[in-house]
Amino acid sequence: MAADKETALQEIREILKVKLIEQLSLEDVKPEEITDELPLFGEGLGLDSLDAVEIIVLLQRNFGVEVKDAQESREIFQSVNTLAEYIYQQKTGA
Amino acid sequence: MPDFDRTPKAKRRGNRPGIWFFKTVMRVAGLRGAYALLYPVCFYYACFDRAAVRSALPYLSRRFPGMNRWQREWAAYKLFVAQGKNLIDRHALVAGAVSFDTGIVGYDQVAALSGEGQGFILLTSHVGNWQTVMHSLERLEKTVYLLMRPEENPALRKAVQVDSEKSRLKIISPDQHLGGMVEVMQALEQGDIVSIMGDRTYGADGVDVRFMGATARFPYSAFHIAASAGCPVVVLLSSKTGINSYSVNMAEVLWPKLVRGQDRKKQLCDWVQQYADILENYLLVHPLQYFIFYDIWESGNIDHRTKNVE
Repeated sequence: MAADKETALQEIREILKVKLIEQLSLEDVKPEEITDELPLFGEGLGLDSLDAVEIIVLLQRNFGVEVKDAQESREIFQSVNTLAEYIYQQKTGA
Repeated sequence: MPDFDRTPKAKRRGNRPGIWFFKTVMRVAGLRGAYALLYPVCFYYACFDRAAVRSALPYLSRRFPGMNRWQREWAAYKLFVAQGKNLIDRHALVAGAVSFDTGIVGYDQVAALSGEGQGFILLTSHVGNWQTVMHSLERLEKTVYLLMRPEENPALRKAVQVDSEKSRLKIISPDQHLGGMVEVMQALEQGDIVSIMGDRTYGADGVDVRFMGATARFPYSAFHIAASAGCPVVVLLSSKTGINSYSVNMAEVLWPKLVRGQDRKKQLCDWVQQYADILENYLLVHPLQYFIFYDIWESGNIDHRTKNVE
């Protein structure tokens, strides 16, 4: 069960990294350079608040997942890992 | 009385006793009485508050390049009076003391958008009296979210009743996590209206556009959000046309799109330039309705507010 979850999370992370690069036009960044725990905003990947708009749209279009709770977003938007966890929870209800 | 740049000194111009005094005069003597009081007050500012006059000159010198110094000072005085009238109207409206005849050009298409459940961005400018115009949008029966810092002047905030429980005007602060973008996207998703100021960056990122014969820096966030969310940008312009009347223009509806793989900022700049042209054309007709008491043309302009990314 735990192995299944980890496999699913890994798959989501990989898709996320590719989509982030596409959606945010991060031409100089390769998927393998985005580590799972790399902070997305500020120091780290260096995204700003307008990039957050693109990520919200990315989650809707590619995963059918919506972010509605502003408080929750603080946890969700930390890294690829936290985004993947959120997507997994929303998809499986886990 | 004029609402200049928000320096500590500027705050004192709109303090609680001042607002109370004008509101009392308005109740006793009506709009015309309150307006009459404006002339000496604004004359005082025009003569003795050099910071106030200086803040008006960047706009006036570009809008009226042929004027000499004294003509510009006179124009500054008239601008102060015009803005004072707008502020009095705003308070009168909120107090329920008066109703304004507001003709809206382009209302049908905006109502159609709204009727289809389409959220949109309302791009406002420092032209006319957008706060008063917002009340005229109540007939759309949508909540209007203002992407702005909560009014720093508590007296003024209380007076305009933005964000009160019964108000359909709510504030989304850009100081929140992710600049309030989660709330913005949610509002657009549910078919509501998000109002964003289009002609001053307030420390946010911007692009250089041609505006009144020179380069000015305008923010592009409205167009970026709209392009991402797939929603339109409705340009809102307004002007006071009589004692009890305003003219509102919402005829310009832009649908920004971004082509992936091309320079995003360059594409956004083209959309912002369209808006700058619309605003400039409007100001040709309504020159003394532009209350931008800040030099948006200054080269390498760094706004005094800091950008909040987190």
